[in-house]
Amino acid sequence: MTAGFGEARGPAPAPAPAARASLARLAEPLGIAVAVALGLGIALSAQRLAAEPGGTRLGLSLVLGALFGFVLQRSRFCFLCLWRDFLDTGDPRGMLGILTALAAGLVGYAVVLGAWMPDPSGTRLPPDAHIGPVGPVLVLAGLAFGAGMAVSGSCISAHLYRLGEGSPTAPFALLGTTLGFALGFATWNPLYLASVSEAPVLWLPRHLGYAGSLAASLAALAALAWLLHRLGRVPGAAAEPASPLAAIFVARWPTWIGGLAVGAIATAAYLRVAPLGVTAEIGGRTRQAAAQLGLLPERLEGLDTFRGCATAVRDALLTSNGLFVGGLVLAAFAAALAAGQFRPAWPSPGQAVRGLLGGLLLGWGAMTGLGCSVGTLLSGVMAGAVSGWVFGFAMFAGVTATLFAGRRLRLIP
Amino acid sequence: MPRPIPHTLGLAALIALALTAPVAAQEPVAARASAEAKEPARESALVSTEWLEKNLDAPKLRIVEVSVEPGQYERGHIPGAQNVVWHTDLVETVSRDIAGPEKFAALVRKLGIDRDTTVVLYGDNNNWFAAWGAWVLAQYGLVDSVKLLDGGRKKWEAEKRPLDTRTPEVKATAFQAAQPSAGLRARFADVLAVARKERDEQILDIRSPDEFSGKVIAPAGVQELAIRAGHIPGSVNVPWAKAVNPDGTIRSTAELKALYAAAGIDGSKPIITSCRIGERSSHSWFVLSRILGYPVRNYDGSWTEYGNAVGVPVVNLAGTVWGGK
Repeated sequence: MTAGFGEARGPAPAPAPAARASLARLAEPLGIAVAVALGLGIALSAQRLAAEPGGTRLGLSLVLGALFGFVLQRSRFCFLCLWRDFLDTGDPRGMLGILTALAAGLVGYAVVLGAWMPDPSGTRLPPDAHIGPVGPVLVLAGLAFGAGMAVSGSCISAHLYRLGEGSPTAPFALLGTTLGFALGFATWNPLYLASVSEAPVLWLPRHLGYAGSLAASLAALAALAWLLHRLGRVPGAAAEPASPLAAIFVARWPTWIGGLAVGAIATAAYLRVAPLGVTAEIGGRTRQAAAQLGLLPERLEGLDTFRGCATAVRDALLTSNGLFVGGLVLAAFAAALAAGQFRPAWPSPGQAVRGLLGGLLLGWGAMTGLGCSVGTLLSGVMAGAVSGWVFGFAMFAGVTATLFAGRRLRLIP
Repeated sequence: MPRPIPHTLGLAALIALALTAPVAAQEPVAARASAEAKEPARESALVSTEWLEKNLDAPKLRIVEVSVEPGQYERGHIPGAQNVVWHTDLVETVSRDIAGPEKFAALVRKLGIDRDTTVVLYGDNNNWFAAWGAWVLAQYGLVDSVKLLDGGRKKWEAEKRPLDTRTPEVKATAFQAAQPSAGLRARFADVLAVARKERDEQILDIRSPDEFSGKVIAPAGVQELAIRAGHIPGSVNVPWAKAVNPDGTIRSTAELKALYAAAGIDGSKPIITSCRIGERSSHSWFVLSRILGYPVRNYDGSWTEYGNAVGVPVVNLAGTVWGGK
């Protein structure tokens, strides 16, 4: 394990000499005070936003983003780390946590969709649900995104919460992501004309009904859970934390608790604001900047007609997705401070290069796949989109292949 | 979006408004309400948010939301309202036309609407698309039974009235539709005849002053979709937004009369409303035809048809050349 990936492994109890211990005793109340102030700040900002005319969704988006960031940080909800736990140590609990999130979200979405569109069999799709075209380009996007995760050390949502933990890689990875988005815009038109325009948009409830789609999806998740259990090995039970307060704010949550919370937040977000996603703002701002620099093709064919993390050029200063991402980072920062997990570090050249390069792949994959591990995988699968499943499988294949190849070449720890 | 109008017409409208506004302001609310209650045309065309909330459960009433932003209806609508998607339900999706009789009748049957049903339409964006829906319904003979919610979604939300996320289940009707009547719709040939002064009608262009003058071909953020800038010769410009109050409600009948009279439109000649694609102009069509009772047709081809036509006269005050000078 190297410094660059140490922070991905959760709180490593470092042996503390006496001097450091006294410093820590001083830093701890300060960290908690700042965390509480941040939490209050987010709540008051949301309150103010919601009081503006038409600001209800903005305020709510900030709160949901903060909740999402808190949950991601507390439960270390990082797709790469959880998959690597399974690959390296056979521990399936993290991956089971992701399946928990999908199952909870699937049920929540079914409740919402059933009310919004009583009859799913027509030609219509539920409003702004992330249901995208399924074809070779989606597989390519998933593979690239997975490779970017392996190279940069996590996916986009995890880089965002790690930014709040003071990760030295995250800023480079996020910078790389914006460059990757610009690259994605540049390659979009040929890919669209060659393949995406003819790729079918497949929505399971249209073909199986809500009950059938829910049953089939839950059965698939159960089969995956069985496979993980079969191939993996659950390590012996860890000691229970002493107080409930410490269990919530200091100790890492079991991933399945994070998964349940992610499923609930995803449902609430879809019901009130928009499906969960963390790249719409990054993509939209990149598109705006690229257009101003004259780097954008004259017209992005068909792009704005697809569902997913829409990258429509922003004309407002505050957007709901921007506030969601902002809330995510701030709440993750507050959670890390309170837990004593805020550990800023100076980046090494290797971290910078891996971050930028991995970020480039993440950005290209998220743009071309119309979302990332959150927008396309989580929100897609929950809505009954085949695109969510295909992106997910391609993404984990991309991670695995890149990890194996990179480790063999000693380029990736 | 109200913008300053630099034309003399606009100035005249402002003066006319300034003359009438103080009178309206001095009237007590109750007196004003009763004055408007005596206007049968207005009463037939509009319902207030207050009235609608009291009558949500009324029999023979159907509420229909026509909004443009996806997810708007689903995340909360007026209790009992049904959803109509303007760009797929009310139009033909392959050819450019309003929904044909079969498609229209199937939609109306599904909504549980019959000829004796009262229909209240509302939507986002100041009822633009709801008004467009009213124009389509009117062509199929559903005129007096169709009303707009005054102030639309915006006012209902601003007054913090209840919203619902459940979709109502209604009993389908046996509504039959004949061919749409041509009397409410202006076609390209009609507009061209007016432009060439072969016919004595008035064209009311409700786009922004910058679109009208040709400074821009389309509003910001909208693809141009027309090869030429400017307006149809002989048309006058009264932006649609001038017909509404800040809260989204439609201005008083006296104010409306003064507004259009200042642009030379008083109902003595047939009127044609026009914009870019024909939806914003439906709003002015609704105001002129249903509230003021003027003879008016909506030109849904609008600038995206006329501004692309070959060999027709155009007025381009700004001199904008498509594709660069």
